[in-house]
Amino acid sequence: MTVTETDLPLNGIRVFELGIAIASPYCGKLMAHFGADVLKVESQTSPDVVRILGSAWLKDRDDLAAIASDTSPYVSEMNASKRSVGLELKTAEGKAAAMQLLAECDVFLANFGARALVDLGFDYEAVAAINPDIVYVQLPGFGSNEDLPYYPFVAWGPNQAPLVGMDDFTGHAQDPPAGIATVAPPDYMSALHAAIATITGLEQRDATGEGVHVDISQFETTLALLGPFVMDYELTGTVHSRMGNRSMWGSPQGVYPCSGDERWIAISATESQDWDALRAVLGSCVDSDFDDPSIRVSAQDRLDEQIAAWTAGFESEDLAGRLQAAGIAAHIVSTNEDLLHDTHVTSRQWYQVAESTRLGRDVFTNSPVKLGRTSGRWTGAGPSMGQHTRDVLSEVAGMSAAAIDNLIAVGGAFEQVDPETTTTRPWDDWIHLLLPGTEDARDL
Amino acid sequence: MSGPYSGLRVVDTTGLAGAYATRLLAGMGADVIRLEPPEGSPLRRLGPFAEGIEPPENSLWWSYLAMGSQSVVIDPGDIESLTEVLSEADVLFEDRLPNASKLPTQDINPKTIRTRILPFGLTGPKRDWRSSNLIAWAASGILYTTGFTDRAPVAPAAPVQLAYHASAASALVGTLLALRSRRLTGLAQEVEISMQEAALSIAPETGVPMFMDDRVHRERSGNRRDLGRPFGLYPCQDGFVSIIVLMPRHWVAMSQWVAEATDNESIVEEVFVDNAVRVEARDLIDDWVEELTQRHTRLELFEEGQRRGIPITPVNTIEALVEDPHLQAADFWQTTSLQDGTEVKIPGAPFRSSSAWWSMAPAPRLGQHTDQYLS
Repeated sequence: MTVTETDLPLNGIRVFELGIAIASPYCGKLMAHFGADVLKVESQTSPDVVRILGSAWLKDRDDLAAIASDTSPYVSEMNASKRSVGLELKTAEGKAAAMQLLAECDVFLANFGARALVDLGFDYEAVAAINPDIVYVQLPGFGSNEDLPYYPFVAWGPNQAPLVGMDDFTGHAQDPPAGIATVAPPDYMSALHAAIATITGLEQRDATGEGVHVDISQFETTLALLGPFVMDYELTGTVHSRMGNRSMWGSPQGVYPCSGDERWIAISATESQDWDALRAVLGSCVDSDFDDPSIRVSAQDRLDEQIAAWTAGFESEDLAGRLQAAGIAAHIVSTNEDLLHDTHVTSRQWYQVAESTRLGRDVFTNSPVKLGRTSGRWTGAGPSMGQHTRDVLSEVAGMSAAAIDNLIAVGGAFEQVDPETTTTRPWDDWIHLLLPGTEDARDL
Repeated sequence: MSGPYSGLRVVDTTGLAGAYATRLLAGMGADVIRLEPPEGSPLRRLGPFAEGIEPPENSLWWSYLAMGSQSVVIDPGDIESLTEVLSEADVLFEDRLPNASKLPTQDINPKTIRTRILPFGLTGPKRDWRSSNLIAWAASGILYTTGFTDRAPVAPAAPVQLAYHASAASALVGTLLALRSRRLTGLAQEVEISMQEAALSIAPETGVPMFMDDRVHRERSGNRRDLGRPFGLYPCQDGFVSIIVLMPRHWVAMSQWVAEATDNESIVEEVFVDNAVRVEARDLIDDWVEELTQRHTRLELFEEGQRRGIPITPVNTIEALVEDPHLQAADFWQTTSLQDGTEVKIPGAPFRSSSAWWSMAPAPRLGQHTDQYLS
């Protein structure tokens, strides 16, 4: 196969993904964007949680209940450009078909629990028996070593952040920890490490012919971000913990009120040149003794009060622009509504629209990884459940139409339900507002 | 150096924005050169500091993030030496705004992959804006939704610098893809990361596609959320535990446990199996659950709760993590040596592979490798 300049780096790579929610699916989405054929292998009897979530606007639409599994915005957000293959791995027939597919895949990617993978018969040894040079990457909560204490424990995004210390680091110093259930850093950091491991494994396989088994314990991976705090605890017994929005490395840094209800601005001015720039803007609104950096740190409460009294007189967006113009790191504390109108974000094509068999089209966020020459692709929004079962079994596993019919008949596989039932999202008419350069939704 | 990236030359001119990426590359065998000005990398000024060691060798951030790398000191005005080091690079990590960069990049080798981590990216109206961990979170929608309602909102795990590390890890994904593409085509390319987008991509719950779907204005709600009950952090003898109960089977197990431990017959009444009823009666449910949690330690509640199949975890502090029995049994912790020879515990490899991928030397002294790379 000749390679051309714009061929994507993962062209020709096929990924078998057993993913739930975020950790494995987000990795798979990045792989698909950069050229891999990612097969999202799904079950109707134990579906991915994004298939259960459904969509808020569909809640009272009994007529569309059968297709709800294809409508959560997370379906596209985590699975754009993948193909969905409906296989029931707990049936002998479904498992056999999956193994036929696996023999033709380059990568196995899964965030099922370690024990669940063993029980299903998709642990590394079982998969490597079918495909010895597979790049096998798994992301269990606590690793795949069954002799370890937490091996059988249930790991779930919102609970993993507190487990790995993130919640203890969140909140103001004198308050109880503030939960961060709206963001699951362990899931995403594990996903990024999985992508790193997958590409590294593929390079090794291409160079040596040997596959690899990579075990990403979400517990351990996220802890690798806490090095300096572990070291200081070992050296001095200091237990570092939450400190609001303040910096360990200088002052001022914080979130300050602006005019209006719940309008805030974040300001970071921890270096001396930052202070000089900020002081030029603040003038006599702060005490002159703050020109001494040690006083800025020792009297942070007083400094923060004086800055807050000053910021409260400004409209947040206007103030952020003024501070940045003066060379100071600042930004409004964006709400959902602010993000919707953030023209910087839209100017960078952060939102993408692609075809969806169920919704006509759907919107999802772009890859934060941007490559200049091989810029990636979105071949579709998130697939409907089982949308590509027949295509993939035929084209990849080489099964005949009759064999596929039989597999479906015995419950080993399934296809998209009610393919004739389609709908559009209520906001489909103004989807173009997220895409600069388009005047009308019909232009898309 | 052994490892999958043995022989790869990486030049890192960044501070926190790229450090986690080049730390991983060094761990996987690459020759990572940290290009430092005579006063040292900005990482060397980040505390906490080790006692008894003189600056600029005493920063624990440096000692951790610069592990396995090589220190080459060049005066920013010495274009000749900069060009010499850059000309041999397979990968160059940069984090300066284009108007602030003093690197002689016009002479850069066309085979060099340039990985640029910028506050808001290279294009768009905010391309010249500055950032920080806090600013990236403010621009992601997450900061607004985190914290207690009567207090200013807070960044998630602010001291951990997650926005920088997510940017660095994303940058490494892009860099490895570019290296693969270079091997296949012979051509390099530029990798671009916007810190705002790196934060947005790990925060879809407050992102625009979700918001357009439900049109719910996200608010901060302290350490509990009204999506279910119990849902959030609950006090115990030595801190807090996190309990997330949404599924009926999890509630049945949870209520049974509270009933047994606190002689509470009311909690097992049928009506509370309905999550909506529990959310309505959340103060009562929380009181009942706290009666149980306050009698035990984090680890007792974790082990017994998990045994009962309930999604519960300890809210770990650094101290609790270092003492954690699973991590000890897993032999997770490793050590590094500081410049005075002190051995200190550090987190081990971020993943475990069946091939020998990971090894780490200590962080270098300022200028330790300058002579090796400059003629």
